[in-house]
Amino acid sequence: MGPAGCPHVNAFKVDNNWKQNLRLICQCFVWSGSVETRKRKAKSCICHMCGAHLSRLHSCLHCVFFGCFNKKHIHDHAKSKRHNLAIDLLYGGIYCFVCQDYVYDKDMEQIAKEEQRKSWKMQGAGEKYASWEPTKKELELLRHNPKRRRITSNCTIGLRGLINLGNTCFMNCIVQALTHTPLLRDFFLSDRHKCVMQSDSCLVCEMSQLFQEFYSGHRSPHIPFRLLHLVWTHARHLAGYEQQDAHEFLIAALDVLHRHCKDDNGKWENGKANNPNHCNCIIDQIFTGGLQSDVTCQVCHGVSTTIDPFWDISLDLPGSSTPFWPLSPGGDGSALNGETHTAGSTTLTDCLRRFTRPEHLGSSAKIKCSGCHSYQESTKQLTMKKLPIVACFHLKRFEHSAKLRRKITTYVSFPLELDMTPFMASSKESRMNGQYQQTSDLNNDNKYSLFAVVNHQGTLESGHYTTFIRQHKDQWFKCDDAIITKASIKDVLDSEGYLLFYHKQFLEYE
Amino acid sequence: MVLCNRNVQACVVWRRYCYVKGLLPPQTSLRSLNMSKDSQMRAAINQKLIEMGERERLKELLRAKLVECGWKDQLKAHCKDVIREKGLEHVTVEDLVTEVTPKGRALVPDSVKKELLQRIRAFLAQHATL
Repeated sequence: MGPAGCPHVNAFKVDNNWKQNLRLICQCFVWSGSVETRKRKAKSCICHMCGAHLSRLHSCLHCVFFGCFNKKHIHDHAKSKRHNLAIDLLYGGIYCFVCQDYVYDKDMEQIAKEEQRKSWKMQGAGEKYASWEPTKKELELLRHNPKRRRITSNCTIGLRGLINLGNTCFMNCIVQALTHTPLLRDFFLSDRHKCVMQSDSCLVCEMSQLFQEFYSGHRSPHIPFRLLHLVWTHARHLAGYEQQDAHEFLIAALDVLHRHCKDDNGKWENGKANNPNHCNCIIDQIFTGGLQSDVTCQVCHGVSTTIDPFWDISLDLPGSSTPFWPLSPGGDGSALNGETHTAGSTTLTDCLRRFTRPEHLGSSAKIKCSGCHSYQESTKQLTMKKLPIVACFHLKRFEHSAKLRRKITTYVSFPLELDMTPFMASSKESRMNGQYQQTSDLNNDNKYSLFAVVNHQGTLESGHYTTFIRQHKDQWFKCDDAIITKASIKDVLDSEGYLLFYHKQFLEYE
Repeated sequence: MVLCNRNVQACVVWRRYCYVKGLLPPQTSLRSLNMSKDSQMRAAINQKLIEMGERERLKELLRAKLVECGWKDQLKAHCKDVIREKGLEHVTVEDLVTEVTPKGRALVPDSVKKELLQRIRAFLAQHATL
């Protein structure tokens, strides 16, 4: 039966009231949203012949009758009354007793879907996952393009080398990380970017093109000369053939993409451009987090809070000229992330704990307190207010202070799975209120998985960038410009680490 | 003929409206059905679960668990096999239900059963007026 139902459904649809009727049944007995309808459903959804409520109850569409399917009570009713159609009270499917199967009528499906959504909304469940159903246009496209590519667990689609155009490994390594960011890949491969830029210097279009190249299945390395040119055009400070910093490139690229993306929203409130802090472009959706800064006055204990957006978290390392607080091993940060603390080695969570520790600002940096109306000493603490879907950690290995310029090669171990709960603003609040820290099992929202690692080999003056990226769940590859090789998880975790990309494990609909 | 039909339909809609608005009692009541004590108890529990919205929540929990443990994928594959066997043009929903239900029931992991049972017990303990 195609979506046109069957002749018996069509006969049923002749009556003017059928839609109303069907909606009523759906609202009251299939998908009951409100308390009232739930009560009614509870009381009345039983078989009129035997009282059972669990035997695939169906409601007759022609009259008021509920009957079990399993014990054929509804069949008996259909035969005796010649009522051909019934609706399944569990899932809303329409059964035709003449055709002896479930039938799918487009209009009825439409009504069912609407009522289902309404009831979810009423219960506060919001949108739920529904598998993709192609539109007419999409079906046409699929018919005209019959070539299909099958993704198996060991296929290498999406992996492609990048030619080094002269010290451009700083760009190549970031491109590898971005093309393997799942949400970004999905955005571009489903053609979600609608360009409104007049010139052809839109970086987002170029990224889109890049994704096409990466997933085309071509095995030869790609030459990203157009991308390089666009980057030089839009981020002048990165132009030239000298070695640049990959982290700087990442921030510049995200910034240009964000600026070029804002046209995607099409939302210009009152003719003004999108507020940069409330942008809804794909870059902001994926990469933007909120960093909370609490400044506490030491006299009146008043707290002044600001929240700033961030795309990455830059972490100081031990061995730099800024003192790295000697933290005792263990504590809730590292225990949560399953790290074994060998004496002397630093972990990513150590760096994060240092990042989020309260810092006494000292007498030379007094802040004007609005409570005390005078300058007082204070402490400042950073915590995560809102975590981005992709969290990028930047280990500050390049020291450019007035005294020296050098690279810090201290080994920092980082985990495959990271729980950010201890560093959240909400965790800090509950700690301060003396509440017991919620076990991490219940809080899936802060769990992250590593998916890309950018490494730098060499010195400050001359070096080389490479990237490890995760292709499937436990398969890692090393991308060294044009050369892609398989890598083991051990290779990844033993590497020095410069930029670490983590992806949220659980994504919720808003 | 058409006039007659329309009247009948209007009648049905009005009757259903009354029924739904609580103006008409359901055509049968539990007592008149000679249900066993056990079935009556089950029906009462089911009613409570629906009223409090707990049934929906349990359904969602079960759905998530069954996806997580791979049950959904296993059964989907089995359904595909059945369809291939019977032929796409001839297979009915009944065929699938008959073929797939026993396997589906058997494949539910014990841990999932346990968890749901716990939830239901907790719910009943809370609403002990049954």
